[in-house]
Amino acid sequence: MTPIFLRPTVRPFLILVGVVLLLAAIDAGNGRILTVATAYSALQSFSTFALVALGLGLTMLIGEFDLSIAGVFGLAGCVALTTGAENAEIGLLCAVGVGAAFGLLQGLVITSLDLGSVPVTLGGLLTASGLSYVITHNQAISSDNLDLATTINDQIAGVFSIRSLVVLAIFAACAIVFAATRLGRDLVAVGSDRKAAIIAGVEVKKLVLGAFTFSGVMAALSGSMLSYGLASASPSGLSDVLVPSAAAAILGGVSLSGGTGTPFGVAAGALTLTMLRSGLNAVAAPPFAHDLATGLILLAVAVSDAPYLMRRMTFLGSRFRRTLE
Amino acid sequence: MSIEQPASQSWLQIRAHFGGLARTRMATTRAVVLVALLIWAALTPSFLSAPSLTALLTTASVIGCLSAGMTFITISGNVMSFALGATAASSAMVFLLLLNAAGLIAALIGALLFGAALTGFQGLIVGWIRANPIIVSIAANVLIYGAFTWLTGNESVNADANASHSLLKTAIGGVPIEFLIFITAIVLGQIVLSYTVFGRNLLLVGSGLPAAEAVGLPITPIVFGAYCCAGFLSALSGILLAIRYNQANMSFAVHYDYDAIAAVLVGGTPIQGGDGSMIRTLVGVGAISIIQVVLLLYGFEEQWRYFATGLIVLLVIILYSGRRV
Repeated sequence: MTPIFLRPTVRPFLILVGVVLLLAAIDAGNGRILTVATAYSALQSFSTFALVALGLGLTMLIGEFDLSIAGVFGLAGCVALTTGAENAEIGLLCAVGVGAAFGLLQGLVITSLDLGSVPVTLGGLLTASGLSYVITHNQAISSDNLDLATTINDQIAGVFSIRSLVVLAIFAACAIVFAATRLGRDLVAVGSDRKAAIIAGVEVKKLVLGAFTFSGVMAALSGSMLSYGLASASPSGLSDVLVPSAAAAILGGVSLSGGTGTPFGVAAGALTLTMLRSGLNAVAAPPFAHDLATGLILLAVAVSDAPYLMRRMTFLGSRFRRTLE
Repeated sequence: MSIEQPASQSWLQIRAHFGGLARTRMATTRAVVLVALLIWAALTPSFLSAPSLTALLTTASVIGCLSAGMTFITISGNVMSFALGATAASSAMVFLLLLNAAGLIAALIGALLFGAALTGFQGLIVGWIRANPIIVSIAANVLIYGAFTWLTGNESVNADANASHSLLKTAIGGVPIEFLIFITAIVLGQIVLSYTVFGRNLLLVGSGLPAAEAVGLPITPIVFGAYCCAGFLSALSGILLAIRYNQANMSFAVHYDYDAIAAVLVGGTPIQGGDGSMIRTLVGVGAISIIQVVLLLYGFEEQWRYFATGLIVLLVIILYSGRRV
């Protein structure tokens, strides 16, 4: 029996509390790190990738992996700015439509041809990223709609903004659907044991299709909101979103082998990362410190999620005891 | 009794036409496409001129060494690495730093060992505790970028004016020396794969990890070895870049990971591993570089190359890859 603090439903929140306590301890009452401004900036960076992590986490929950999110994220930003020059709503619709189409098509290929999701979404990632280079002519593009940029980033009640409120609302809706409907249990069933789920009458193909479409939509929504918020978009910048999203999902208790994870867990994982980043910002750490910190965290969670970790540790432990005797 | 949900029949027939059932037919399709590509290239104005061919050979050599490295990882059943480009760029920097400080021989040995160790370490994590290879490589990519931006202050490393690497810049009988190095790497790689115990074991591990484990193959050293070879060859491609440009920086090998996996897959090494050869990768590198040069000659800019690479990878995966990884 796993101890309660190691269970994937509990662990993410304990890690989050630990990180907040750590920051408080470093801060030591100087009011540099744990401030309203930090909370606002943490929520802002939370809203850039938390939804991507949610979509990726959903595909991981059912035992797949969506690499294409990084490409769709960038593509959606470029689509939103190019098509939304006159009317931002139309741009957002186009971007989300592109994301949904990408996710749906990949889902169709995966389910109808019975292919692995990593290769297919690798192709999707390269195609989406190539497409965003094509529509931007290999340059960073910018929009002159700065009003929109300030509106969606304006502080509401000190710590929130329209962007972060949208993200939090989606998380809440997903958490309710996941906890209270049959859909949630079906998803867990697909991820735990696909064959058993098929026998039990779960419509696995539809769920896989839905998960990839959802993941595409989430990536596109975050990408276009970020581009509107910055009033600019660039076709490059792959690792900027894939690394924190994967780290947040695994930190949030979603296992790469499928079957575990909840929306709130993913939110806690994403918050943990953003708290760390804001902490680094507050102490004025240089930009590479972010890369090193997120990279190390991703490596650490990859190791902690590795299927043979416990076996190897037990082996090392017993060998160690033998040498002692 | 199979309880998999059946894929739709028409799709299965299309896939049966291209892959799986008829390997000869698959090889024929590939050969026809390649011949068509060659004819198209030959008909392109000024493709058969000396400057264009030299450019083709040097481009192919740099991407080729990296692709040869990627082939080891793909064959080992670990799909691909997102960190080989970063390894190449960082090894190029190590090469130039050592070249300025200690001379050519020390620089060559140092950079190659550095690349092998860097990637070998990832192989150790993947092989020993079976951590997810994709996640580990994404984390490694960020860590390498972060660390080298930190160490070099985000500046290029330049070769001293009196550095002794110019003898590697010559051409022998009109063929750039880079290309000879690349061909040597391919031949040696193929010898390792076909005629050594390690190579045969690697193919076994890639085609079925549980079976390889059941017959008692040492999985960890084999995966470690494959990653070391991959890192060694990536460092080689970084060295070629450093020699050509007399300088190195971290933006050198962006997109090389994608070109490399495209070359491996186009050549006919399946993405699920367990099969493949350096000769196939050589063919794939030829195809990818010809496409690049021809697109360039027709006046298409870089973004179309990215898009074409993406589409090709997606197409090859859909048509040729086997059932789920």
